[in-house]
Amino acid sequence: MVVEVKTPQRSEEERIEELVKRSAWVTPWDKLLEWIQSVYNWGRKSSLWPMQFGLACCAMEMIATAASRYDIARFGAEVFRGSPRQADVMIVAGTVTKKMMPPIVRLYHQMAEPKYVISMGACATGGGPFKEGYNVVSGVDEYIPVDVYVPGCPPTPQALLHGLMSLQKKIEGQSLPDLPWYRGGPSPEVPIPVLGPDIFDLRQIKEIKAGVQSARGPQAAEAAGEEKKAERKLVVEIVTPQPTIDLANRLSQVFGEGIATAEKVALLIDGDRLVDVARYLRAEPDLRFDYLHNLTSVDFPEHFEVVYHVSNLDRGGEPVEFKVRVTDKQNPEVPSLVELWPGANFQEREVWDLMGIRFRGHPNLKRILLWEGFHGHPMRKDYKEPYYEEEKKPYDMRWPEGVHVRIEDRVPWKRNVKYPQDFDPQTWRPPEETLPVVEAQELRPGMELQTDQFIVNMGPQHPSTHGVFRMKVTLDGETVVNLEPIMGYLHRNHEKIGERNAWLMNMPYTDRLDYLASMNNNFGYAIAVEKMLGLKVPERAEHIRVIMAELSRIQRHMLGIGFLLNDLGALFTPALYALEERELVLDLFEMVSGARIMCNYFRFGGVAYDMSEEALKFTQQLVYERLPRAVDELDRYLTDNEIMLARTRGVGVLPRQMAIDYSTAGPVLRGSGVRYDVRRGEPYSIYDRFEFDIPIGTQGDVYDRYLVRLQEMRQSLRILNQALQQLPTGEILAKKKLWQVRVPEGEAYGRVENPQGELGFYLVSEGGPNPYRYHVRSPGFVNLTALGEMCQGHKVADVVGILGSIDIVLGEVDR
Amino acid sequence: MAHFIRSYLGDLKMRGLGRRYRPDAAAVRQSPQERGIFTVQYPEEKLAIPERFRYLPFLLYEPDTGYERCTACGICAKVCPPQCIWIVQAKDENGKALPKASEFYIDMSICMSCGFCAEFCPFDAIKMDHDYELSGYERRESWIYDYPKLLKPTTYYAQIHPLDWAAEEEERRRKEEARAKRAAPAPAAPPSPG
Repeated sequence: MVVEVKTPQRSEEERIEELVKRSAWVTPWDKLLEWIQSVYNWGRKSSLWPMQFGLACCAMEMIATAASRYDIARFGAEVFRGSPRQADVMIVAGTVTKKMMPPIVRLYHQMAEPKYVISMGACATGGGPFKEGYNVVSGVDEYIPVDVYVPGCPPTPQALLHGLMSLQKKIEGQSLPDLPWYRGGPSPEVPIPVLGPDIFDLRQIKEIKAGVQSARGPQAAEAAGEEKKAERKLVVEIVTPQPTIDLANRLSQVFGEGIATAEKVALLIDGDRLVDVARYLRAEPDLRFDYLHNLTSVDFPEHFEVVYHVSNLDRGGEPVEFKVRVTDKQNPEVPSLVELWPGANFQEREVWDLMGIRFRGHPNLKRILLWEGFHGHPMRKDYKEPYYEEEKKPYDMRWPEGVHVRIEDRVPWKRNVKYPQDFDPQTWRPPEETLPVVEAQELRPGMELQTDQFIVNMGPQHPSTHGVFRMKVTLDGETVVNLEPIMGYLHRNHEKIGERNAWLMNMPYTDRLDYLASMNNNFGYAIAVEKMLGLKVPERAEHIRVIMAELSRIQRHMLGIGFLLNDLGALFTPALYALEERELVLDLFEMVSGARIMCNYFRFGGVAYDMSEEALKFTQQLVYERLPRAVDELDRYLTDNEIMLARTRGVGVLPRQMAIDYSTAGPVLRGSGVRYDVRRGEPYSIYDRFEFDIPIGTQGDVYDRYLVRLQEMRQSLRILNQALQQLPTGEILAKKKLWQVRVPEGEAYGRVENPQGELGFYLVSEGGPNPYRYHVRSPGFVNLTALGEMCQGHKVADVVGILGSIDIVLGEVDR
Repeated sequence: MAHFIRSYLGDLKMRGLGRRYRPDAAAVRQSPQERGIFTVQYPEEKLAIPERFRYLPFLLYEPDTGYERCTACGICAKVCPPQCIWIVQAKDENGKALPKASEFYIDMSICMSCGFCAEFCPFDAIKMDHDYELSGYERRESWIYDYPKLLKPTTYYAQIHPLDWAAEEEERRRKEEARAKRAAPAPAAPPSPG
């Protein structure tokens, strides 16, 4: 078929317009008006002030656009404003979740008129790859009006600039007398949506009622489930490791027969004695399992399993896995282990939120990623999202009869929502947050002013929370008494989508976890799956993997330091230095993998593409000359800087034992003086062949974490030097590239040292083409457990710095 | 300060030689050997795009014969992580399936630019485009790319992916030769598609 380029047919309107132009008499007055208008519009379009507001991965590209290489200032839009009241352009950059939607509309309300919205990337526009998720809004334009859409995932900085130019063109073409704002009168009403059992739009109340009562919709769609196809299963014999068998025998001797049994690779422990056994494992001098790596749960047809991974940090090695089985599916409950390992706190809350397993004795068992009042526990296998299509991907209806259907059209409310049968939006009241009220006092002479504690909310929209993160800070004066992190504003259902995906499909999704270090995330997932497949990676691929992972670590740490300084008040200049170097690393990633930040470069058994000579030369230039110079530059400017020292030393101290107890990882753990790095603790890939040191801090304060990051960049450069010199020629993939991978039945916990700490993937396979359970142990999420403790007694301004030193990325915290 | 002066001097040199906005000048400015980093004067000047760069997918046809490469095998739709590809297989008048697509949709509001479709297509029919200047004022209609919108000539592909194109053509030529050798005893070799 040949595509003909048709000349666009002129519409009736255009023809009439031309006729009018030809016949009507244009007065000088009209011309003057037109001239004034064009000057006025030129002024408006060249002074757009965007709001400093980013949601997810796209926000990183937005920041790059504002940095020196793309320099959005050339368009008169350099003044990124932290407050919506000073901004008139909202760049919705990233996935919009239901939990984040009410704050976004509120921000939109607060922006100065006339205001414009640019929807950046696939997620903001239509839900993007996360569209099917239960907590994702399929298009921000369902709730607020959007002017310009920029396609791409993520759009490159130049694509965003093109979007900005499109907006300028739109403003240029506007006629002042016709604009709603200039004409006067109210702007169209945009109500703030409410979070109930699901998000609901106040404009839709009638439709919601009708839809719920007629009981059509997703509930009906669920019933039409087909019978399961018989699947070919790949089964490989699983050998129980000897230490696990020994440990099971020992526990049986201590606690009695049947308390602990070795099953596959794990220890199965009786739920009633869990706390005793765990205490024994922790306290016994030769075991001393003092570090809880990972805590998660699996929903099997007959029972739930809660899975724990523990180890001793001094000894290192593979973590020991033990699990508890809960057969009561209606009302599952296990004892909480927060007393023993405080690092279990958030992870247990996550299990309660997503899987609905109660933890007896947990100090604060509330939802953590979703909101209180949300209907259902989404990680259960019987939970179906509103946009539920089929149990597993690939969906049959895409081929060969795949007429495009918008999934919205199958839901009665045309949106990604579902409500319980008895839901009535009119009478529904949100559960109230209890806030202390300060009573007025009468002051008499000689009496001291009684200060009461009060609560300040930081986030979810705040310039220094590194994304959409919220902290509820209780203050006494300016001193922090208590701090509660509230997250989930970027919870985009990574795990639920991951369990529907085929094995390979998860690879590009892992890019979007810690979206500043996608190579490292790819690495972790590849390691975990290769563990189950038993694949041996060719030498050249191993080296390329290490090169990419270490470069990624350097740019990530550099950015971490840059933004830490940002948080300490050195607004944007240090971050600009970091972004400069990062651009060059991204150039390399783009050359090698095809994308700047969403590399999707690793495959099971190797990497996707070979490194060309050109790319190799580029890497050498970076590693031998450019990056060492940049690291030295940062060191020279910052390490002895007086302001830096004053703001960071002795701030946010996390003592060594507490760092271990809270299961912190990465620079936070090492900053507190624990010499533990997964690359040394349980060497993966070919890290055991390289010479490098693990830098540690002595005090455990913000400054030490900064120093650790700085030193780690130098160590990464050391590794890179060795890897580049040893880089052999040869294959880059173990086997032929397959689009469908079957993974043998079993489970694996694969982990790597990501720039933020231990990134783990807990995978359960049934032997088919899709994972049965896909859990991500995210270092950022677990590190936040210690945040409250670290901030106590400090001033509000320090909270920002302490958070900056943990250096979270919300894509990974909330997943 | 030295950096400041140096960057201006460099700029003057480039301007003096009339090299501003020229790709060869950009290549020097954007290399890792430069100090600091230079601003790309977008839209007058654009960053060089490496061949492997991927943005959105598109489909290929031969410009001289009009032959569409897609055979509706469906691998791209099956491997697509967010499942944004819909294919309708063409049928002849008897209802027998033909190895080509009659309709092809990609929903760009779901596409995550991962490049799996291009990576796993056995017929080199779907590739990743370099064009990123796509912003617009509407998304409901214009972001669902149908078959005519997705089709681009192979010459375009050869232009944006010169190395890949050469490698693929070489591979194809070798296969053709092997097939011709095998078919040599037969009177006529089957006509090659495109």
